[in-house]
This record gives sequence, structure tokens and C-alpha cells, in this order.
Amino acid sequence: MAAALFLLAWSGIYNVAASTGHWAVVDWFLAFGMRNSVDLRANAITAPVLDRPDLIRLGAAHFHGGCAFCHGAPGVPVSPIARQMLPSPPHLATSMRTWTDEELFWIVQHGIKYTGMPGWVALERADEIWAVVAFLKRLPVMDANSYRELALGRVEPASQSGEALATVDSNPQDASACARCHGAADSGPASALVPILHGQPEPFLIAALEEYAQGSRRSGIMQPLAADLGAHDLQRLAAYYAKLSPRRSDNSAHSSTNERGRRLATEGDPVNGIPACEPCHGRSGLARYPRLAGQNAAYMEAQLGLWAAGHHTSTAGGAIMGPIAQRLSEADIKAVSAYFAAQAPEQVGAKP
Amino acid sequence: MIARWLCLLLPVSTSLIGGCGDHQSVLNPAGPEALQLTQLTWLLFGFGTVVLATVVLTVIGAVRGPQPVRTMLASTRMVVSAGIFFPALTLTGLLGYGIWLTRANFANPGEAGILRVVVTGEQWWWRVDYPQGGNGAFATANEIRLPVGRPILFELRSADVIHSFWVPNLAGKVDMIPGRITYARLHADRTGIFRGQCAEFCGGPHALMALEVIVMTQSDFDAWLQNQSRPAIDPQSTSAREGKALFLAAGCGACHAVRGTPASGTIGPDLTHLASRRSVGLDTATMSQASIARFISDGQHVKPGNRMPPFRIFAPDDLSAVAIYLAGLK
Repeated sequence: MAAALFLLAWSGIYNVAASTGHWAVVDWFLAFGMRNSVDLRANAITAPVLDRPDLIRLGAAHFHGGCAFCHGAPGVPVSPIARQMLPSPPHLATSMRTWTDEELFWIVQHGIKYTGMPGWVALERADEIWAVVAFLKRLPVMDANSYRELALGRVEPASQSGEALATVDSNPQDASACARCHGAADSGPASALVPILHGQPEPFLIAALEEYAQGSRRSGIMQPLAADLGAHDLQRLAAYYAKLSPRRSDNSAHSSTNERGRRLATEGDPVNGIPACEPCHGRSGLARYPRLAGQNAAYMEAQLGLWAAGHHTSTAGGAIMGPIAQRLSEADIKAVSAYFAAQAPEQVGAKP
Repeated sequence: MIARWLCLLLPVSTSLIGGCGDHQSVLNPAGPEALQLTQLTWLLFGFGTVVLATVVLTVIGAVRGPQPVRTMLASTRMVVSAGIFFPALTLTGLLGYGIWLTRANFANPGEAGILRVVVTGEQWWWRVDYPQGGNGAFATANEIRLPVGRPILFELRSADVIHSFWVPNLAGKVDMIPGRITYARLHADRTGIFRGQCAEFCGGPHALMALEVIVMTQSDFDAWLQNQSRPAIDPQSTSAREGKALFLAAGCGACHAVRGTPASGTIGPDLTHLASRRSVGLDTATMSQASIARFISDGQHVKPGNRMPPFRIFAPDDLSAVAIYLAGLK
């Protein structure tokens, strides 16, 4: 049997062309195997609450940039190039198989062998993968307009001149890639899970983009985008956001000037080894540190949660925050995030 | 053949390890309280040797001895007198003697001229507070300075788990128990540097949780006390001034205090007079600008498991500036 298989491969008789497709029986066999494999492996996963607008928006914005090329979207066809893959990727808005939330999570996280479906860039970022799953659950009931609103947010890509279209080697949708999630001059982030970059110190923004580009800061959403930027683009982008006037989180439901949060931020909790946040993240901290006043509470909670779970510690900043976040309780994380979200942000200088 | 000779060396080398130099040794007391303990140790050792020899002879007598000796050893009277009364009487006597001998160690905070020093065991360093400093209270770390001849009252606390305070040349072990205060009272009757160690396993870098007691003449001690209770000196050079600004902006003050600056953290050691100490994180590196820089950026390799995160955010020049500033805090 093994010798026969070897001879088959050695002889070159077997045709590996994607253009010819599979025999129907092979097609059925592969799909049957995939279905059972995903089903088995998804057993150990439990979905969190997915019906959250912030999660769905974040997933939609990533889907638009990362998945729609192969899988299409309402109003967006599958690229003719992607359609020639074997198997041809399904247009998910119209013909997605019925998967459970957990099965979708497993597929997005690990990808599928012998298809073009890649695994998630940062396997440990379950928070990001769930955002994509939350969006996928909504996809079948979405029309082109509601998809556009969700994935592009309030950003309207400027229509380029004929000359620019003809001569500039970039897709107009890429130009708005940052703003789709993070907002721009006149708008804040599309989702409370996305950080407000407006008015953050420039050295901090540069360092964060460099860490994403090198992969030392892990994110399936940010790593591919940052890796595409040249060193010069990265600095111009950082300078752009650093100069915008600071914004305050508009998600007031999660912000409050609670006492526990105030104490942690300004005095820390020395008995439990927790230093105060303000010496680094307040107005007089290094420009290498982010400012937290007015930041989205949900974003801060998620980041602190990642550090507390032991992720995210391979960057210079993460190495400092990791041990500190691990000393915070879940209630501490909520309290201090809510406190900072309620503070009025200040403009900081571009350089220390 | 060589192996046999090496075996002969074994007892010699073991006895050398037991000596371990004279700055951390119970056999080389540097104060009356330690001397009493040493005397008690030798007494117990001598007495124990006599008892052991007697037991060995008795066993030989019981197995190999003539019939009358074996009969005598097997009698009820022998078992009751040598097996119950003898240990009860001698152990009670020794306990009483030990308590009487070390009676001066029981703390009396009201004792005239006594110097109070608060030592707190923390994972994994020693916080040392002098509540009655030259011009007010101050704190230092991993290093205790004492005047020769004066009675000292150590107030021992723990910030987290059980530690044990032990400076063999000066006194016996005293446990430091969370939520309680224990005391050790002692004198040092000669100047010198004596090493102490945490004597209760307290987690990861327990073995690196050491301290030094430096016994000085009264006048040297007074000068030291005066200097320690002053706020930190202001940096003079440009790089040291830059280092100070970076130290504050990098958030070091959230954990460390430098009196006279906004840095007032209490989580880590007080750094007001860092450079007056003999080492950086005792047992890890001698005091130098390079040691300070290494501890800041790579402290987890210097003292693995310590509670300070590594600060790799500094550019090389900035890191040297911070180290220059701290190395100037005499």
C-alpha cells in the first residue's frame, strides 16, 4: 500500500492542478474529514457572550481587511483570483455552512490544512478571534449597507482622481485602514475594544507599531497591518495621531470615578505590591508610556486581562506591566479601567 | 588508590565548610548574647557526646557483655531510672539553664540607651527602619549598621510570608511572622562586618535573601546616622540631572522612595542613600554604576524571581544616566 502510494507520487501521474478540481468523491471525503475534525476539536471550547456591538464592530473591521478578499461580504464579491483556489473559498454571506460558535472559533484560530485558510497570526489572542466569530454570526442577516456601516464605520474613503488611481500603487481602502477602527480627526474608535490613539505621545505610538511589525507584540489584527508599513510610513502615522487633539471615551456606561480605581491610579496598593499608575501613565510620565486618561475602559480591561493571563510580556513595556497586572484582581482591573476612562485627557508634547 | 586518599580528605574539607570564614559563624561570637549561645552549644555538644558514648557502651554491654551486666541492663529499675528519670531531669535542667543563660535576650524596650531597629522581611530583601535616626526616621535595605557596645532592640516583622532573622555571629535565629512582631535584643562587642541570612525558606530567591551587619564605633555610627537621615543630595553633573528626570518620569518613584524628590514609593527599597550601601541587592553585585544599570534593565537575571520588572525601555545612554544619578546618592 505504502509502496503503491510512493510509486504514484514518484511517477508524477497524479495531477496537482488546482484548475482541474477534485473528483466528487474526493471532494465529499475531504469535507467529511474536515467536518469531523473541527467538530472533535471544538469540544473543549466554550464561547463567551458574543452579542456585543463592540465585539461585532471590531470583528467586522478586521473581516473587511483580512478576510473579504477570499470570502467576500454583502456587496463585496469574492476576488476572481481567490475563486480559482482549490477548494474555492465560500462566499460566507450567502453560503456559509452551519457551524457552532466554538467550531467557527477553532477554524479562525487554526485555519484548515489543504485549503488556503490560514491560522490566526497570534494564536493566543482569543479575544480577537471571538470578535471575528461574533461578526460571522451576524453576517447572514446583513445587507450591503449595514455591512458597509459596520465594517467601514464613519470613514468615507476619499474618491481618488483618475490619475491617482492609475499611478499610485495602493488601494483606496488601505488608506483608511487605521481610521476604520481607530477613527481620525473628527471621529473616535469604532469600538470600545479599540484604543483611542488621538494625542498619545509619538514615541509610544512608534514603539507600539514597531513591536507589532516585528511580532514582539502579538495581535492577529495589528501585526499584519503594521508589518505592511515601511519605517517612514510608521513614523508619519504616529505623528498624525499624536497631533490630533485628545478624545475621551464616549462609552460612559463603563466609566466612573470610583474610589478603588482612584486609589489604584494615584496611590497604588503597596501592601499587595501594586504601584500607582499615574507616575508612568499620568502627565509627567515618559513619552514612551501611553497616557490613560479618557481611554476606552473595555480596551484597558482587555489589555490588563491579557497581561494578567501571562501574555503580552515580551515587549519592553509589557515586561513591566505583566508582573504588575498579575497582582491585580478582576475587580481591580474593572475599577481602575473605569476610573481612567472617566478622566479628562490632556494633550502631551510630541517629544519627552 | 587516589579515591582512598580523597576519602581521607573528606572529613578535613567538611570541617572547613563548617568554618565558612569568620564573618558568618556561630563559632566566632561577636557579642555577649552570641557568646552565651556558643557556650550553651558547646555544653550541649559535650553533654550529648557523653550520653552518646554511654548509649554505645550500653548497647555493646547488652549484646556482648557477661550475663550479670546483661541482667542488670534488662532490669526494670535500670529502664525507669536511665530511660525516664535521667532524660527528664537532665533535659529540664538544661532547659532551665538555657533560659537563665539567655535571660538578657528577652526584650525590654524601656532599657536605658537601647537602640531600636525595625527589620521587615519581604520577598526577598530586608527593609531596615531606624525610627530614631539622627534627624528623624529613615529606611535602608539589606544592610544594618550598629554602634559597638550599645544594646540593640530588633523589632522583627514580615510583609508577606514567614522569614527568619539570623546573624550567626551576633545572635540566634528569630522567626519573622506575618501579622506579629517578634524581638531580638543583642550587643556587638567588636567592630566588623557580619553576614546574616534568611533562615526560613520563603520562596524563589530565598537563598539570595542575605543581609550584612556592619558594627562601627559610636562616632562613625553617629556620622552615618546623620548622613542617612538627610534627604538625598541633588545631582551636580548634567548626566546625573538627566538621570534624575528619567528616574522620575519612568515611574521608579511608584515603588522606590528618594527623600527630597517626588519619589515616595514604599513597595521596594528606599534609594535615598543607595550608593552608601556596599552592594546592590545583597549577594548579587557589589555597589557600582554598572551593577545598578544591570539591576534596572536585567534584574531578573541578577536576582531571579525578584519583584521588580525589568526596565528595558531605556536607550543605553538613558540607562547610564539613571545609573549615574543613583550611583551618586551617597
